[in-house]
Amino acid sequence: MLAYRIDRRSGVATYLQIVQQTRQALRLGLLVPGDKLPTAREVVEATAINPNTVLKAYRELEREGLVEARRGLGTFVRRALATTPADSPLRTDLDAWAARAKAAGLGREDVAALFTAVLEDHFQGDPS
Amino acid sequence: MTDTALEAAGLGRRYGRRRADRWALRDCSFRLPAARVCAVVGPNGAGKSTLLALAAGLLPATEGTVTVLGATPAAARHRIGYVAQAKPLYPQLSVADTLAMGADLNPGHWDAATAARVVSDGDLDPRTRVRTLSGGQRTRVALALALGKRPELLLLDEPMADLDPLARHELMGTLMAQAARHGTTIVMSSHVVAELEGSCDHLLLLRGGRIGLAGEIDDLLAAHRRVSGPADTVLDGHQVVESRTTGRQLTALLRPAGPLPAALTGAPPTLEELVLAHLRGPQDPAASPAASQKATA
Amino acid sequence: MTTATAPVTGALTAPHRLRWLLRLHRPALYVWTAAVVVLTAALLWLGGPLTDAAVHAWRQYDVCRTGATCVYDQDAILRYKDVYQYTTWAVLALPFLVAAWAGAALTGREVESGTAHLAWTQGVSPARWLAAKLAAPAAVAAAGTAVLVALHRWAWLADHGGIDTAKSWSSFETYYANGPLPVALALAGLAAGALAGLATGRALAALAWGMSATLALWGAVHLAAPRLYPAVTRTAGLDHDGPVGSGIVLDSGIVTADGRHLPDPFCGSSAYSTCQALYERIDAVGFFSVYHPRSHYWPLQLLATAPVLAAAALLALAAFVLLRRRTQGKAATA
Repeated sequence: MLAYRIDRRSGVATYLQIVQQTRQALRLGLLVPGDKLPTAREVVEATAINPNTVLKAYRELEREGLVEARRGLGTFVRRALATTPADSPLRTDLDAWAARAKAAGLGREDVAALFTAVLEDHFQGDPS
Repeated sequence: MTDTALEAAGLGRRYGRRRADRWALRDCSFRLPAARVCAVVGPNGAGKSTLLALAAGLLPATEGTVTVLGATPAAARHRIGYVAQAKPLYPQLSVADTLAMGADLNPGHWDAATAARVVSDGDLDPRTRVRTLSGGQRTRVALALALGKRPELLLLDEPMADLDPLARHELMGTLMAQAARHGTTIVMSSHVVAELEGSCDHLLLLRGGRIGLAGEIDDLLAAHRRVSGPADTVLDGHQVVESRTTGRQLTALLRPAGPLPAALTGAPPTLEELVLAHLRGPQDPAASPAASQKATA
Repeated sequence: MTTATAPVTGALTAPHRLRWLLRLHRPALYVWTAAVVVLTAALLWLGGPLTDAAVHAWRQYDVCRTGATCVYDQDAILRYKDVYQYTTWAVLALPFLVAAWAGAALTGREVESGTAHLAWTQGVSPARWLAAKLAAPAAVAAAGTAVLVALHRWAWLADHGGIDTAKSWSSFETYYANGPLPVALALAGLAAGALAGLATGRALAALAWGMSATLALWGAVHLAAPRLYPAVTRTAGLDHDGPVGSGIVLDSGIVTADGRHLPDPFCGSSAYSTCQALYERIDAVGFFSVYHPRSHYWPLQLLATAPVLAAAALLALAAFVLLRRRTQGKAATA
């Protein structure tokens, strides 16, 4: 079962964090069609966030067609997102690049900043 | 069933009889829809406890009315759960006896399973005497007593005070689960805004016994902007909650009445920024924007 | 702790509704029960073996007056006297015990520690909370006190005049410990303590107020009751040793020729020449005494008990009014 981690200091709206983490799980294949999302009660009991926030996030995921609510049963995954398996060529490339960056003496933060900057250049305007 | 959990109209409470006596609460009017988790924030002495005690039917109003679940607080008694700030419990009783007393005192609407679960979630031995409990355990038992009533409205006065961060998180989780499961409306006061962020979706800000700000938190955040820009930027027309000029830099928290000057950059504030700005700024800026302009000029 | 959620209607019996009260005040109930049991045993001992032994000792003593050698069980006489005195004062102390507890534990501590607010936000209204808090202890206190005064009366009567030093019906402690007043005082003490607890919100202060109010009520009826019922006035010649007429004496002394009442100079009979001279000098013609004879016993007890019961009712009413004002405001009390 998926466990959400809420970072209250991130500045990202709480419901958006749930949406993003669900999408991430779909991308990584941690969730596949037919899987059940945790109930609102389970999420709020673990995270102490407002139940309406969870419901808002699930509604958003439902609007995107990623999940569907079945009355009295729960919320289920409808379709997967384009996954990037752990052994894809893209990941291998990135892995090699990171190794080169480290060899070049870059720290973790330097790499993250560099990566974020490239991300901004290529995906500007896209929703997260 | 009503879709309004709590409603106040011109509510006021004065302690003592003489004219010089202090009004703990005055001109208090608001409406809290059902199934909300409402934060009552404000500094110590702002009237938070008085408001909750009025709603719980423990204090009579000096003026105005408070309506709870569509009825008077006395008539709604069995539908309200209330936990006072000091978490009073009978020290001589065991935890089990305390819950059994809850069952005795709430004949016909006592949920023993819920009460027992709230206690057992805290790894509490039911045979423990109340007087030996820690602050967090006390709060848990007091909460179990309140939740065992299966309340439609839960009034909590500073529930998280004296709790360590772990206990706070656990208890807030328990409360949120209650809200998710039964649609319970929760009203909780606190003077620590950070502990309410994320859990509450409605805000009631009290200041000097009056309401400074009230509404859905998302709406309130969306309606405000924390901006910064050159010191000579004119903010006329906008409701300035708080502003500060440092050298050539102006920072302000305001409620825009229209498009903001191009020189300003800004973003929605966090809940904490919003609350602090309203507590620091001039009293009741919404009611008298002109006065606040003068104060910030 | 997994008490089943009872599908409650009006069919619940009263004991069930009072279970929470028992949970809170179980130690007090134990202490009270123990006190009543111990005093009951003491009074049974007093009225039975102790009385028999003392009566026997007095018979031996009476023989002494004629016989040359004298053996009598003085210990039995003294033991009877001691136990009589202790049990009498213990019976009279019961109302104060009730008042102290009512003020401190029943309401005072609840308001002081905030547990009253806990109780008032349960499914039982504050008025019903107070009703239960007054009614059940009232029944227990009244029953215990009533049993003990009845036993005291029985023990006091058990000697059938066989103990020369037995207390007279009108001696202060015996008079009150034999009658219904302690029962009424216990009820008034309960109401006074409960009211004081609600009014002060301080356990210790309420304890003091409850006991003081009980003492004040007792003092008031002690002074008032004998004056509310017509007393008997009896005069006697100066050849008597002093004023005649025993019982509860309100006034006594010397009557002069012109009808004035003077205090008794405690000289004695005019048979003594010194007293004769004294009486002639002050123009005395006889002794007088205003008093209540034993036949006034029940009217006097009633005149003391009834006002205390009325006060108990008023104090209880005041507690309800105060509680209602506190929680619902003035409009609700109108």
